[in-house]
Amino acid sequence: MDWHQIWEIASTPDNVPIVALLFLVPFYTWYAFRQARANDRLIGELEASPELAKSHHRKTFPFRPEWTREVHVWPYLLRIEFLAAIIVTVILMIWSITLNAPLEEPANPNLTMNPAKDPWYFLGLQEMLVYFDPWMAGVVLPSLILVGLAAIPYMDENPLGAGYYTLKQRKWAIAAFCFGFLVLWLTMIFIGTFIRGPGWMWFWPGQTWDHSRVVFEVNRDLPDLFNITGAWGKGILGAVVMAIYYGVAGWLVHKVITLNEFNRKIYRRMSFLQYLTLQFFLITMLLLPLKIFIRHAFRIKYIWITPWFNI
Amino acid sequence: MADENGNGKEQKGLTGVLEKVKVDTRALKDKAAEEIKTYKEYDRTQLYKSVFRVKHDETPRGRALGILTNVFLHLHPAKINRDAVRYSYTWGMGGISFYLFIVLTFTGVLLMFYYHPTKGQAFRDIIYLEADVPFGKLLRNMHRWAAHLMVITVWLHMFRVFLTGSYKKPREFNWVVGVVLMLFTLLLSFTGYLLPDDQLGFWAVTVGTNMARATPLLGHEGPFGPQLGMNPFNDVRFALLGGSIVDANALLRSYIWHCIGIPLVISLFMAVHFWRVRKDGGISGPAPVMLESEIKEIKRGAVAAPIKAGGR
Amino acid sequence: MSDSTDATVLSQKPKPEVKAAPTPPGKPAPKSTSPGTAQGENEIFQKRRHIIWTCIIGYLGVSFLMFLRYFFPRALFEPSTVFKIGYPSDFSIGVDTKFQKAYRVAVVKEPERLFVIFLKCTHLGCTPDWKPAEDKFKCPCHGSGYTSEGINFEGPAPRPMDRAHVELDAEGEMIVDTGKLFSWFKGEPSHFNDPGAYITV
Repeated sequence: MDWHQIWEIASTPDNVPIVALLFLVPFYTWYAFRQARANDRLIGELEASPELAKSHHRKTFPFRPEWTREVHVWPYLLRIEFLAAIIVTVILMIWSITLNAPLEEPANPNLTMNPAKDPWYFLGLQEMLVYFDPWMAGVVLPSLILVGLAAIPYMDENPLGAGYYTLKQRKWAIAAFCFGFLVLWLTMIFIGTFIRGPGWMWFWPGQTWDHSRVVFEVNRDLPDLFNITGAWGKGILGAVVMAIYYGVAGWLVHKVITLNEFNRKIYRRMSFLQYLTLQFFLITMLLLPLKIFIRHAFRIKYIWITPWFNI
Repeated sequence: MADENGNGKEQKGLTGVLEKVKVDTRALKDKAAEEIKTYKEYDRTQLYKSVFRVKHDETPRGRALGILTNVFLHLHPAKINRDAVRYSYTWGMGGISFYLFIVLTFTGVLLMFYYHPTKGQAFRDIIYLEADVPFGKLLRNMHRWAAHLMVITVWLHMFRVFLTGSYKKPREFNWVVGVVLMLFTLLLSFTGYLLPDDQLGFWAVTVGTNMARATPLLGHEGPFGPQLGMNPFNDVRFALLGGSIVDANALLRSYIWHCIGIPLVISLFMAVHFWRVRKDGGISGPAPVMLESEIKEIKRGAVAAPIKAGGR
Repeated sequence: MSDSTDATVLSQKPKPEVKAAPTPPGKPAPKSTSPGTAQGENEIFQKRRHIIWTCIIGYLGVSFLMFLRYFFPRALFEPSTVFKIGYPSDFSIGVDTKFQKAYRVAVVKEPERLFVIFLKCTHLGCTPDWKPAEDKFKCPCHGSGYTSEGINFEGPAPRPMDRAHVELDAEGEMIVDTGKLFSWFKGEPSHFNDPGAYITV
């Protein structure tokens, strides 16, 4: 267990933000879920008793009927903003005094460092390059991520939970988002920072980064498994497999969308367009972990091979 | 007699003048003393009143005016929901991101004083800045870490907005603007990465722009690109780099995008983002919880109402 | 505007600006049941307020000083001011401007001495041109005129042009340093006869 290697990676100044993320994200997730649980408890109470539902102020914060509903921004909000600015400045100053921004050797087009890594916020994309072609991992998937994010409000027909934390009332939306953000995006960044070493090889935490390690990893394509060699054959097989995947995944997603009475209620509010868009994004999002899995479990590189692109 | 008279008149003239001077000086002194007394009540002078148009006393009206009449503060409403002040609801990440943006702009402008965006000088300028410029190292560190911190706070902000459902009606569009802002934050970070012209930045940009050459249709190595006539000298990668290689043109373009192009655009989007927060009803919560039984059923087949003429 | 009663708001004393953690606003200010405690608490608030504001103003003040200092680097990389102009025998009596373009100097040789004028107009810094037909240096910017020795006699120039340090090296070649200048300020003694300001020929 090479602790020194771990320390080396974690203390590299440019990696410190990820270490910070490792603490900040779980903390804020816990912080949010704590409030969500409190709200869900309140919702449970209100649903159990209609009179309470009528008379309750409906928040989990301290409440007195004689208190005004609003307070002046000056001073109450401004002083908190001021405090936040002070705290952020202090953190930034301490950080800037103790850690130095990296500066490597002058740019040399003839010599690439090993490993050559993107800035940490793009490491998720760089990790995807292992499993997809550059055009897919670098252009299509990021565009889909952005468009998918932008489309969220227009696909979400659940009116509950607008303005307060809740788990009970938005189970699936939160699960999907946390899956995409925490499990996929942040985990990929974590892998790209701590796991990927020289040659982009996989090093478990504690393993020393060995530049001369050799890995024999023979990958094959899906058509090879079936001994299909013709270009037409490969293209058709890949298309069929992708179609099957979209079909099966679509069916599974539909099962979730219509899982219980509440889900079905929301489903009935959705238009056809909303439904299709949601299906498309969810299925495509699941394509990534699936491809990672079949690469590691079965050493399969490409599923669909055409003269113009490979997936 | 005439002498005496003459003398007397002269003397009277002289003493008269002296007297007049003495009286005048005293009058002037009194006037000055009076004037100085009025300056003690500085907030009554026209000079003060012309700068500070409004009196901010400790009354509700004074407090409201303090916000509403201030060019920097009037982004805020005069009053806000009592619970929205709680840190546990918003985490303050949006405001912190904005604050970091200002810090980055300020430190960034200062850094520009010692940086030439040319291949021959960029790298040496960073070394010069860190070694020979007082507080240069500190400033560069602040700029870089504030940039990383801003990416983190933007992500946390997005996370919070999602978890509180604050993208739902009527705030959908503001969420979209937020996604665009996040993209620009990442692009600012990316363009800044190349500027030191060191190995780290150079290869990061090489990898990044090489992905651009793989763009479908627009890249010379992307699906259907060559079929559309794309080659290394006219595809989208060429447009980004100003050339077919990551060289002096790429550095200069990166510099301009980083310092002027993207900041201008992101400021525009920020203005829209803040505007929409106010116009959509302010901070979304914490809102009273809604029960499932209270969901209003949408009548299927009913035509949605258009936007009311004359606004909401 | 909300219809909250102003009376309610007024009856609550505004919370002092300084709090370690934001307390739920609206908590009534400590009732002054026992004047001693209320007084004591107020004093603590005042002290806290003072400390925090002092720290903030101090930080901003120090930042401002750092900001000013930032604009004066400790080392400058500017072109060298030292150069060679050949041997005294290369020059004839009079004004020679063959090094004006390269080094901004005019070499003046007199029967007894040779000196080098640094061609920076003492008015606002332009480069005066030598006009042999009129036997004077004339500055194109505002018309300052200097004699063949660089002494101002017409126009807005307040004093003669400076002369550069000049010395002979081991081979007898002249080395000029325009980084070391000799001046003659009005009302002060001239430095044109100081060692280094000329070469005896």
